[in-house]
Amino acid sequence: MIFHDRYLVGCAALAVAALVTIPPAHAQAPTQPTDAALNAEAAQNDWPTHHGTYKSYHYSGLDQINTGNVKNLEVAWMHFPERATRGIQSTPLALDGVLYYSGSYSRVYALDGATGKTIWAYAPELDEELVAKQTHSPYNRGIAIGHGNLYVGTVDGRLIALELKTGKPVWDTKLLDSKKMTVGFTGAPLVVKDKVIIGAQGGEWPHRGPIFGVDGKTGAKKWEFFTVAGTEEAMKTWGGDSWRTGGGGGWMPGAYDPETNAVWWGTANPAPLYDWGGADWKKSGPRPGENLYTTSVIALDPDTGKLKFYHQELPHDAWDFDSSVGEFVMIDRGGKKLVVHANKGGHIFVYDRSNAKIENVWPLVKNINFVKSIDPKTGELIGRRDLVEGKVDPPLCPAIAGGISWNSGAYSPKNGLFYRIGQEWCMELTVEKTTPILEPMAQLNIGATFKFIPPPDGPARGHLSARDPVTGAKKWEVTYPQPPLASVLATAGNLVFVPDSVGIVHAYNADTGEELWSRNNGMGHNAGIISYMAGGKQYVAVPAGWGSLVADEFVALYGEPFKSMPKNTGALVVFALRQ
Amino acid sequence: MRISFVMVAALAIIWSWLPTASFAQQSNSASSANPLPQAEASPDDIEGGKMFATTCGFCHQDGGRHAGRGPKLSKSERSDEYIIERIKKGKTGAMPAYGSVFTDGQIIAILAYIRGLDD
Repeated sequence: MIFHDRYLVGCAALAVAALVTIPPAHAQAPTQPTDAALNAEAAQNDWPTHHGTYKSYHYSGLDQINTGNVKNLEVAWMHFPERATRGIQSTPLALDGVLYYSGSYSRVYALDGATGKTIWAYAPELDEELVAKQTHSPYNRGIAIGHGNLYVGTVDGRLIALELKTGKPVWDTKLLDSKKMTVGFTGAPLVVKDKVIIGAQGGEWPHRGPIFGVDGKTGAKKWEFFTVAGTEEAMKTWGGDSWRTGGGGGWMPGAYDPETNAVWWGTANPAPLYDWGGADWKKSGPRPGENLYTTSVIALDPDTGKLKFYHQELPHDAWDFDSSVGEFVMIDRGGKKLVVHANKGGHIFVYDRSNAKIENVWPLVKNINFVKSIDPKTGELIGRRDLVEGKVDPPLCPAIAGGISWNSGAYSPKNGLFYRIGQEWCMELTVEKTTPILEPMAQLNIGATFKFIPPPDGPARGHLSARDPVTGAKKWEVTYPQPPLASVLATAGNLVFVPDSVGIVHAYNADTGEELWSRNNGMGHNAGIISYMAGGKQYVAVPAGWGSLVADEFVALYGEPFKSMPKNTGALVVFALRQ
Repeated sequence: MRISFVMVAALAIIWSWLPTASFAQQSNSASSANPLPQAEASPDDIEGGKMFATTCGFCHQDGGRHAGRGPKLSKSERSDEYIIERIKKGKTGAMPAYGSVFTDGQIIAILAYIRGLDD
């Protein structure tokens, strides 16, 4: 009897357990990426975060599309966003067969990943008068997913959460008074644990480049880190009141290292861009001192926003060669845990992931003369050219658009190669002693006039090189008449995809650089390319659409096709293998 | 040397431009929300070259003598009214609106700097 009762109770318990643990036939689709997916080397079926995974490889583990069949890649579907002013500059995300992406004015679209059918669309109401006053506007460069929400920043200083399944607003938090501070948000947020982290735009803007930590569920601001004079130590590196308008925005999303609980983030240049202090920059000029933490990589505690450690790549950056590139390629090599970060000036910095100590520095581009070199052991700038008022002679290399632009490269853990776009160009520059800007306002703070010119060794151009990420040893290189400005994608199919500036998407053999496939999307690319799985099939999605501030330089440099290329339009083009 | 020239040019343009502004306001009441600038330049306002280097030179290269992100401005055939209107209202996706950032006198000073540019 007792046994019978126990048997019945046991059966009932098993039944209840089964109800709890076995998913029902109509299980809810996942509404947030798993920790395993975020921490992996390769993005698999999904593309859950801006850089693919926290390791920032921009690498897809999918191999349905590979070197053997990429010739059969064709357009599967397209989507056209509304009001694509300045083209499309964002990196899409994919989760459970749904593709999400943002366009200008922070408009967001959720699309069936297999068919392109719209699931929902969202268009926030922005302060249009403010948008009209902004230079770095109204484009948006990406979104984040977590806590059942999708997050997008706005150029008028807000961070918005939408319900991932429906697109309905969950919360809308004003983080910046953009009318007063000028800056807003153009970059993608980064979800880390219970927080959404986002950085304000701009180095040439007279504010203090804050990075925010926001509670994902409620939208409450939990912390704010000022990249300009954010600590007592940093305050001492800004002469006078220059810290009040120092720039330094962290405008691209960084990455997260769970082993050290550190969010790695790159910061922009200080303002004004071009300092006339010359060799006496520690004591004179518009912003005397090292100007911490501008043009730096910083590691923040995601729980508190406190600075854990940092390295300033260019102390007292006098050339607008900031550290805003958001990809932090986390690799393990010879028992060392390393992180690789590209600086706009054209150098690649390799750090110890536990403390941001320099492991190596190597140049990606040939035409660099703002320094003679950077010490590969210490990171010290050797032979820096500090500018004074008047014409800079010889012209400065690279040009203001940098030796490396803000979109990301890729790393293949399969062959250990790092794929990065480099830019070869210089500029004539005249530094002007401008009136100090002491209060934030809706205007730039440049301090110079300039003109792009070809470098001494040939025409202004770009290149993709495949290199060892730690030593910089080059395996192969492809040169382009005009630098590609979009992100790069590597895949387990042994492919590297490069969307270029004239509108062509190229697929190369990842080991040799041999071009295996190309298609013309009809307009230049300036966004992020991803790969994902929907309905058991691999897709490659690339936004086409031209018109960033660097892209705008191409008309004067190259003429056609850029002179005739429409700037205020765009399309998301999704490729799949022919059936 | 250049600044001196620009200051003279700025004053000359303010002088010659006043009647145009008055006429524009009288002839188009609908534009009262964005009236053409009034002459209110002070010595601090008319350093158009410095203002250009602070803000405009980001897009108009070589101090406005060469096309870049924005068009070449030296020897522009556009009218004063057109340039002032463009500075004030901007162009979506290409140029910010500076109507509430710069004073009318500063805008005139920038115009004077542009008109004083050689090639």
